[in-house]
Amino acid sequence: MTPQLARQLEVTTSTHLTEDQFGELMAGGGRDNGLTAQAHLLTCEKCAAELTSLRESLSLFQQATGAYAGNELRRLPQASLPNRPMLSPFLAPALQPAYWLAAAALLAGFLPMQTLHRHALQPAPAVASSNYAESESESDEALLNDIDREVSASVPAPMQALADPTATDDTDTSVQTSTQRKD
Amino acid sequence: MPEDIQTFPSTDLTLAAHSGAHATPLDDLESVIALYQPRVFRFLLAQLRDRDAAETLTQETFLRAWTARASFREDCSIATWLIRIALNLARDHTRTGRFRFWKHLSTSAVDVAEVAASLPNREVSAEARLIAQQQVALIWQTVAGLSERQRTVFLLRFLEEMEIPEIASVTGLPLGTVKSHLYRALHIIRTQHSAAAHDPASLESADIDSAAPISINKEAL
Repeated sequence: MTPQLARQLEVTTSTHLTEDQFGELMAGGGRDNGLTAQAHLLTCEKCAAELTSLRESLSLFQQATGAYAGNELRRLPQASLPNRPMLSPFLAPALQPAYWLAAAALLAGFLPMQTLHRHALQPAPAVASSNYAESESESDEALLNDIDREVSASVPAPMQALADPTATDDTDTSVQTSTQRKD
Repeated sequence: MPEDIQTFPSTDLTLAAHSGAHATPLDDLESVIALYQPRVFRFLLAQLRDRDAAETLTQETFLRAWTARASFREDCSIATWLIRIALNLARDHTRTGRFRFWKHLSTSAVDVAEVAASLPNREVSAEARLIAQQQVALIWQTVAGLSERQRTVFLLRFLEEMEIPEIASVTGLPLGTVKSHLYRALHIIRTQHSAAAHDPASLESADIDSAAPISINKEAL
């Protein structure tokens, strides 16, 4: 009698499946492809029923987990896909000259457009200035006159006190005017 | 086999589809994501039991795969390579104290009731469906109580349907160690499952609404 046959007979007739034999039947990896354990199953209804029941439960576990993961994955927004690597193929070194050319062409097209756009916008301030109220025009006029007076003076207003210490009234007036202008 | 799992590719993208302008099979990232994102997300979700973490690490997996695509030697399938990256990310993630802290407070933790309720509709009685949901809840909670390595090899075998040598390749563990962890995990699950079968009341007590893992008396096993 060979050792394998002896072991097979021992398992078949006496005890139930061992932990390793049960594992071999469930997961594979047995030395004799689980032949000994399979022989035991033919005569032991208890082990056969237990094996069938556990296989069914594991199958249900796999189905439920797969379905749950599938549902969860469908709920995720598309943005959750990795975008960084998706963009990388478009930045391949071989394509970079083409991108530079495209950028240069865009720039060349954009600059004349921008110049035209500025020319088109120029009349706008003139139109806007024609709507100024009369009071604003008068104050602008007074301000310009004030500036003109100061510029044409031989001694600037802030220095007037030094040039002519007796002319305090004029200095006060100039300082007041400057202060008002600041406001 | 449910539709969700059937739609996952059993074989990888053929290299012929990537011949020509592409240097590696991963250059066509859009196709790779479309094919493997469900599988990577499913594994990470079951491993981490946290939707937000699974989503983040799924994105990170494809980002890492893309940046390291030149190192893909095609000595394994794309799926195996991606799952290996995902597993490494999950390990790094769970080892941080931040993960353990936020796991207690997380609102994105997977609800076992939702998982059980996701079972595809079958033409069975309401009672049979309830029993099926309870079985799913029992397995889910028992798996949550496994050690990290036991859970990993269990999920790779029974969720991702990987063969033992492939699991060894993904985890970097010797074949014997993979088998040892796998058989141990199965023994624990079998014990809980058997107890529930003999005592249906305990199956009901595998509360579908409870997210807590079933505590495993390892000395008794």
